[in-house]
Amino acid sequence: MAFNKVTRALAGIAAAAMLIPLAACGGGSGSTGAADTSDIPAKGTDDGTTITMWTRSPLERQAKGVVEAYNKSHKNQVKLEIIPNDDMEGKVGGATQTDSLPDILAGDVVRIPYWASEGIFADITKQIDGLDNLKDLQQGHIEAGTVDGAKHTLPFITDVSVMVWNKNLYKEAGLDPEQGPKSIAEFTEQAKKIAALNKDGVAGSYLAGQSGGALVFDLFPSVWADGENVMNDDGTEATLDNDSMKAVLDAYKELANTQNGLGAGSKEETGATWTAPFANGKIGVMPYPNTSLNDIFDAEKSGGFEVGVTPIPGTKEGKTSTFLGGDAMGISKDSKHVAQAWNFLYWLMQSDTQKEVFADNGYTASNIETLKTAYDDADPRIQTINSTIIDGNGKTPKSAAFNEGFNAAGSPWQLLVQNAVWGKSDLKADNQAVTDVLAGN
Amino acid sequence: MTTPLWKRVIARVLEALLAIIFVSPLIWVVVSSFSPQKGSAQSEGWGIANYLTLFGYQEGLPKYLFNSVIVSLVAVVFSVVVCTLAGYSFSRFDYPGRNLGFMVTLSILMVPYASLLIPLMVWFKDIGLNDTLLGVGLVITLFQLPMSTFIMRNAFDAIPKDMEEAAMVDGCNSFQALLRILVPVVKPSMVTVGLLAFLEAWNNFMIPLYLSSSAKSTLPLAMVNMRQQTMGVIDYGATEAGVVVLLIPCAILFLALQKYYVKGFMAGAVKG
Amino acid sequence: MSSVSNSAAAVPERKSTAKAQAFKRGILYALPDWVMIVVLFFVPIVLLVYMAFSRWSLLGGNRGVNFPDNFVKVFEHKLFWPSIGFTLEYTVIVTIFLLILGLGLALIVQESTKWNNVLRTCFLLPSATGLASASLLFYALYSPQVGPLTKILSALGLVQEGGSVLATGQSALWATIIVIVWRFSGYYMLLMMIGLQAIPGDLYEAARMDGAGTWRIFRSITLPLMKPTIVMCLVYCVTGSILAFDQFFILTKGGPNNSTMTVVQLIYNFAFDSKKDLGMAAALSLIVLIALVIINSIQMRGMRDNTK
Repeated sequence: MAFNKVTRALAGIAAAAMLIPLAACGGGSGSTGAADTSDIPAKGTDDGTTITMWTRSPLERQAKGVVEAYNKSHKNQVKLEIIPNDDMEGKVGGATQTDSLPDILAGDVVRIPYWASEGIFADITKQIDGLDNLKDLQQGHIEAGTVDGAKHTLPFITDVSVMVWNKNLYKEAGLDPEQGPKSIAEFTEQAKKIAALNKDGVAGSYLAGQSGGALVFDLFPSVWADGENVMNDDGTEATLDNDSMKAVLDAYKELANTQNGLGAGSKEETGATWTAPFANGKIGVMPYPNTSLNDIFDAEKSGGFEVGVTPIPGTKEGKTSTFLGGDAMGISKDSKHVAQAWNFLYWLMQSDTQKEVFADNGYTASNIETLKTAYDDADPRIQTINSTIIDGNGKTPKSAAFNEGFNAAGSPWQLLVQNAVWGKSDLKADNQAVTDVLAGN
Repeated sequence: MTTPLWKRVIARVLEALLAIIFVSPLIWVVVSSFSPQKGSAQSEGWGIANYLTLFGYQEGLPKYLFNSVIVSLVAVVFSVVVCTLAGYSFSRFDYPGRNLGFMVTLSILMVPYASLLIPLMVWFKDIGLNDTLLGVGLVITLFQLPMSTFIMRNAFDAIPKDMEEAAMVDGCNSFQALLRILVPVVKPSMVTVGLLAFLEAWNNFMIPLYLSSSAKSTLPLAMVNMRQQTMGVIDYGATEAGVVVLLIPCAILFLALQKYYVKGFMAGAVKG
Repeated sequence: MSSVSNSAAAVPERKSTAKAQAFKRGILYALPDWVMIVVLFFVPIVLLVYMAFSRWSLLGGNRGVNFPDNFVKVFEHKLFWPSIGFTLEYTVIVTIFLLILGLGLALIVQESTKWNNVLRTCFLLPSATGLASASLLFYALYSPQVGPLTKILSALGLVQEGGSVLATGQSALWATIIVIVWRFSGYYMLLMMIGLQAIPGDLYEAARMDGAGTWRIFRSITLPLMKPTIVMCLVYCVTGSILAFDQFFILTKGGPNNSTMTVVQLIYNFAFDSKKDLGMAAALSLIVLIALVIINSIQMRGMRDNTK
C-alpha cells in the first residue's frame, strides 16, 4: 500500500477543506443577533405571544408560582424550563452556540457578571432606569448584570441564607428551642450538644462539602458579619485567609472531628441533595436557603418538626449577615420577543405583583418596600428572613470568574474548604489558588 | 464427556449464578420502577406513577421519544444507504482513489468524537445544521461509517462476480444489478448495519449533549437532565422508569435480531 | 491490499472505456461516503486545528489567533496531568478485567448447546443497553436511598452507613469499572468467541491424544492462536477506555474533588464548565486526537506483526 500517496492526497483534501471554515468563520460567532431593545414600550407588550424562560432547579417552587400568576393575568404566556443547577453553565453555553437561548434567562446571581460581560443579555438600561421603584429593588441583582454602566438584569427570585435549627432536636438535647446560635462559637456548641444525643442518623450540623455554591452561601455571611471580605472589590483577588474565615472553617473542622458532628455524606455532598438531611429532621443546626424553608413550614403544619430561623452570626455576638443570592433575570440576545419579555419583567417589578406572588405566599420579595410593608400577618420567621435583607448587611459577591473560582465542581474554593475541614489546611496557599483563577490565570 | 457429574453440576450452578449477576440489574430496575419508593411519585403501593412523572417532564416524554426516533431513523437510513453504496464501490469497482476512500473511511475510527464535537458545534451553525435532529443523526452516522462500510464491503466481496455480470448481460445497468441481484444477497449485512446504527443512535449521549438544545434532546440526554430536576431531592423512581423506557426497544430488537448482531461482529472480526 | 490495482500495463481501447466507466461509477457510488467524510470529518478537523490556535470563548466566539496560548494553558492547567494519570489508571484496570472476563466467558459458552445459548444471551444482554442508560441504572443502584447495593456493602462494613460508593475517589473508580465490565463483558466475549471458533478442532484433539491437560492445552494452543483476537480486543478496549466520558459524566461528574476526571471530561469541563474556553477545549482535543492516532498505530503495528 503506497502510504505516501495516501498522505499526500489527504493533505490535499485537508488543504482544500481548510478554506471552507475559514471563509465561514471570519465574522466570529459571538457578536451576531443582539436583540433590538430600542423601541420597547415602557410597560412592554402583552399580545398573546409565547415567551420562553429558563431558571435553575433550586428555585423551582417560587419560579413556578411567579409564572403561573403571570400566565393567569396576561395574554402572553411564559413557558418555563427548569434547568438542573449544575448544568446551567453548560446549557447556556451550548445555547449561545446554537442561538437557542430563551427569551428570558434567569440565572444564579453570582454567574450573571460573566454572562453579562460576554454579551448574553440585551441592553435594557433605558427600560430599567425608567422603573419608578428602581431604588427599592434588590440592588445586588441589578449590579451583577451591569457592565460599563449598561444594565442588563433585574431580580427574579431572592434567595438568602439564614441559620435554621430543629426545635424538636433542641428540646431533646436540653437546649432552649427558642434560641438559635448568636455566634459561631454558640453554633459549634449547640451542634455538639445535638451530636451528643447519639441518635441514629442524627448529626449536629451539615455541610455540602463538594458544592462550591452551597459553601459560599453557607460560610461567607459569617465573614461579612465580622466586617471582613472574601474578595477585593473588583473580584480579582481572594481574601479568604482572614481570621474570620479561619474561625468559621475551624468550627466545622471541630464538628467534623466530633462523633456525629457533621451529617454522614457531608464531605461528599455535591449539592444535589444538600437540603434533604435537614428537611428530613436529621440535622440540628445549619445555614440554609430560605427558598427551601417553605416546604419545611408546610410540613410543620402537617405534623413535621418545628424549625427555628435566625440570621447567620459572625464570630462575635451581635453582628449578622446573609448571602443575597437567588436568580437575576435578563432578556437574552437571541430573544425575538423583547417587548413581550419586558412586559414580564416590568410586571414582576411592580409592588402589587411582588406582594401578590411573593409576600402572600410567604416567599421573599425582591422589593425592599414590599418586604417592609406587606408581611404584617406573615410568620415571624419569614419576617426574620426579610430582616436580613432590609438591614442591608447582606452581600452579593461579584466577580467575572466567580463560577470557575467558587461554584464549578472541583473549584479551588471547594478544595480550600475540603482541606480546611477534612484534610490538612494551608489557607494561604489555597487562597492563592482561588486568586489565581479570579485574576484570570 | 468424561467430566464427573458433580463437577458438571457445580459448573452449571456457577454459570447460572454468573448469568443471574449479569441480568439482575436489568430485572431490578424494571421491578423498582413500579415499586413503592420514598421520594418518588410512586411512594405507596405498586403502580405506574413514575412513568406519569416521566410523561410530564418538561417537554414531555412523547417529545423526547419523537426526537430519539427521528435521530435513530436518520442514522439508520443514512448508515444503510451510504455504507451499502460505498461497500459496493470499494468491492466491485477498480479506480484510482478506491483504496484511499476505504482507508480514509476506516481512519474515522481513530478519531475520538470528543475531538470533533467542539468544532462541529461551530461548523453546524455556519451550515444551518445547528440544533437539528438531522445534524445529530448525521454525526452519529459518521461514526458508524468505518465499521459498517467494512461489513458491507466484505459482504459484497463474498458474492461471486458472475452474478451481476449475468444480470448486466441481460441489459441491467450497475445500479439495477445492485438493487435487483446484490441487495437481496447482502440484506443480512444491511440489517446488521441498520441494527448497529439504531443501537448507537438510540443510546448515544455525548453527541446530543454537545449539539442539542433542550427542545431537541434525545431520550438519554433528557433522562440525565431529569435526574437533577429539583435541588435537594433526586427522583430515583422517575430515573428508573426512564432507564426502562430506554432499555425496552434495545432489548426487544437485540433479542429478535441477535443473530445479525453476532454476524456483524463475525464480519468485522474475521477479516480485521 | 488488492490484486486488481496493478493490472494497468497494456490497455486496449475497449478496456479503457470500460475502465473510465468503472471509474465514474465507482466514484459515484462512493460519493455519499466522501461527502459525509469531507463535510463532517475533514472540515471539523481543520476547524479544530484552527480553533486550537485561536482565542475562542464559549460565549464570546472567535477573537483571533493566539497560538500557542491555548496549549500553554492546557499544559499548565492543574488538572491536565492528573486527568491523564487517572485516565491511564482506569484504562489499564478496565482492559485487564474485560480481556480476562471476555476470554473466560467465551471459554465457558463456546460450545453451542441450548444451555450455553441461554448463557450467551444473558451475558450479551447488557451490551444492548446504552452506556448512558447503564450508567443511570447503576447510579440508582448505587444510591443509598433506593439502591440495595449500599445496604449490602454497609452490612459488610465496606462503606459507611448512609454513605455512597461514589463518595471517595477510589471507590468511585471501582464503581464505574463495575458498570463498564457489566456493560462490555458480553461484547468482548463475543469477539473472543469468534476467535476461538477459528481455531481448528483437530488441534485440540491431537493435544488431548498426547495427554495434555486442560491448562496445558489452554496455554500452548488456545492462548497463542488467540493472540490476534486478543490484540484486536486490546485495541478496542484501550481506545474506548481512553475516551471514557459518559459513565463518569453521569456517575461522578469528575468528583469527588476532581479525583475521577478523565481527559475527555476535562475537554467538556474546559468548554462548558470551568473555563468556557473553546480554544482550550480544542487544543486538548487535538492533543488527545494525536495521542490516540499514535497509540493506535503502535497497536496496529503490533497486531500486524502478530498475525504474520
